[in-house]
Amino acid sequence: MDFKFTKEQESFRQEIRGFVKEHLPPGHIGGIFAEETDQEAWDLAMATSKKLAKKKWLTLSWPEEHGGLGASFWDRIVMSEEISYWGIPGTGMGVSGTKWVGPSLMLFGTDEQKKKHIPPIAQGDEEGIWCTGYSEPDAGTDLASLQTQAIKVGDEYILNGQKVWTSCAHHAKWLWVICRTDPNAGKKHQGLSLFLVDMESEGLTVRPLKNFVGHHVFNELFFNDVKVPAANLVGTENNGWAHLMTALSFERGVGLGQVASCRRLFDELIHYTKETGLIDKPEIRQKLADLAVDIEAARMLTYEWAWKSAQGATVIHEPSRDKANCDVMMEKLSRVGTEILGVYSQIDVTDKDNRWTKLRGSFEHLYYYCIGMAIAAGTTDTQRNIVGQFGLQLPRAY
Amino acid sequence: MNLDYTKEQELLRKSVAEFLAKECSFDHVKELEDSEQGYSPKIWKKMAQLGWMELYFPEEYGGLGDPFEDVTIILEEMGKKAFPSPFFSTVILCGMILLEGASAKQKKALLPKIASGKLIMALAQYESEGSYLPEGINMPAQLSGSHYVLNGTKMFVQDANVADKLIVAARDDKQGISLFLVDAGSSGINCKKISTIGKDNTCVLEFTDVKVPPEDLIGKPGEGWEILEKMSKKAVVAKCAEMLGGCSESIEMTTAYAKQREQYSTPIGGFQAIQHYLADMKIAFDTSLYFLQKVVWMIDSGHDTTMEGSVLKAQANEQYKFITERAVQIHGGIGTTREFNIGLFYRRAKAFEYVLGDTDYHYDKVAQAMEM
Repeated sequence: MDFKFTKEQESFRQEIRGFVKEHLPPGHIGGIFAEETDQEAWDLAMATSKKLAKKKWLTLSWPEEHGGLGASFWDRIVMSEEISYWGIPGTGMGVSGTKWVGPSLMLFGTDEQKKKHIPPIAQGDEEGIWCTGYSEPDAGTDLASLQTQAIKVGDEYILNGQKVWTSCAHHAKWLWVICRTDPNAGKKHQGLSLFLVDMESEGLTVRPLKNFVGHHVFNELFFNDVKVPAANLVGTENNGWAHLMTALSFERGVGLGQVASCRRLFDELIHYTKETGLIDKPEIRQKLADLAVDIEAARMLTYEWAWKSAQGATVIHEPSRDKANCDVMMEKLSRVGTEILGVYSQIDVTDKDNRWTKLRGSFEHLYYYCIGMAIAAGTTDTQRNIVGQFGLQLPRAY
Repeated sequence: MNLDYTKEQELLRKSVAEFLAKECSFDHVKELEDSEQGYSPKIWKKMAQLGWMELYFPEEYGGLGDPFEDVTIILEEMGKKAFPSPFFSTVILCGMILLEGASAKQKKALLPKIASGKLIMALAQYESEGSYLPEGINMPAQLSGSHYVLNGTKMFVQDANVADKLIVAARDDKQGISLFLVDAGSSGINCKKISTIGKDNTCVLEFTDVKVPPEDLIGKPGEGWEILEKMSKKAVVAKCAEMLGGCSESIEMTTAYAKQREQYSTPIGGFQAIQHYLADMKIAFDTSLYFLQKVVWMIDSGHDTTMEGSVLKAQANEQYKFITERAVQIHGGIGTTREFNIGLFYRRAKAFEYVLGDTDYHYDKVAQAMEM
């Protein structure tokens, strides 16, 4: 057993911290969807994307021919942790040019698609900002029941339907979307295809979907006879579900980043309770100790999954295990953190005029968003089902 | 033992529920939340006409002399509708302070005005420390001749932006806490509404040389904390009634959604995990509701509820957060939107947690009451 990172990996970590010191505002804390919620945060994200691109860190795991460094698995893990801990913005190129659009195109895109879309992503260019269209109003957890159609007419596909929870659609230039190309296929997983859609397409409408505190992160997309060139089909027609599973596997490891951002918030909380003397109160110490245990345990879980992956083992239920665990931990962290911050934590942290927000509003921000995060990318219950079925080989319960 | 409400109380509940359903839909609640005033003067006037404000005031001051239990019924129904208004600030916080500590002359001057809906009041107690303890009150009330002069900042003053009069807690020259009746429009008072998760009328008040004549002291000098404590014991229970109303509606709304929303060609309410969450929510609610009813009865029967009120508030704080967190989860993505209504309750669970003491404060009070 060896729980240490290598000297090279640690020095890479320090190099990233140097970048943070040089390019981010002092004391900057990232937040879930922080980039999307206001223009200032978005501008910082875009500027940072370009700086990361200069160092090829924006797409560091990509092969050099595509603008990356071909970085090792563990270097990617180190980068992932540091990004989340320091809140480095602009690393996704929307949702998510870097994490799954680029890697998917490298695997099963056409040469034309790779040539057109991979460079802007790697360069941090506005043309490389993506949004992703998977969920629909009636197809959330049961994604395979999606209804948006893409019917081939000549050398085009005509898209009709609706997508929901499309974060970043109001900033993106391109849409990565899954549609039904064969409505008569036998099973609901069959007859689906992936497309690249220009967000400027005629017939495509973006409607903001505000959350309960009034923030605009998500959108609905309405497709009214949207014409998409046949050359924008990704992979094989009607094989979209398999392609989607590959793309989703790139989305895994979300737990790793979440744990690192929780660690950051926790460290800030420790600092705050020391400064204010709250840490001397026994009940506060108990709460903090309890959280410390949770966070450390969650960190170990993500390393276990990461190590298995690095060995080339197929991980099926582990990312789900980590996500389910992290969802529960984030809710607890936001609840206990706001309790410790007390009555001030009810203040709306997006009101930039207010001078009372503590810790840059990071706990309140987590409180507003942690439920959404527990629902997104597979609800906590979906993840538990995967652990049950694939981790424990229990019969499918639904 | 009798765990039923009276026929009159059932009628009261029904009429309040029907009135609020008609006058203030959830869409209107959201409009009011986003408005500067944060409430509807039109609805306020109608509430006064229906006698809601004067319900539990003694008859000699224009009230109906009804039991405290009746006013908790009104608050429960307000909680179910997430109804925003200065009712709690005016009738409960300030109304009860006046009843506990004001002179007969002051009561005669103010209570009928509250009853008729013509007087809105706000309590300015908390300061920058955000402490619920007497040590958290440090604003000076300096004696200048026979007048007092107030200087300083009060935080988290509910409804100060729409109030006509304020009750301000400050430390007088002898370092005791006193309560002062102040015109909200006095020059020297600067009121700023701050944006909060509750989207309510939470304000910061800055006082610069605000003069208060001696006849506007409520109670004797140095008697302020005692009066606040007497008010708090009842007011905290009233707030819990509103919170439990919100819990009740959250469970109902979520159950209805789970019955109707389908995934995998079946209502999600049929999945065992969802059923167990809802069962846990119902168990949490039922235990709190029956305890609320007991504490309310204890108040109307003249029992001391120092410990029970704190147990109830601590419990309501945690249960409202638990129930609404599960409720949003069960709704899935749409539960996080402004368009759907469950978010109204999720936010109120956080906002109300801090009214009249958070959980840690009340745990301490319970421990003290048990003489630990």
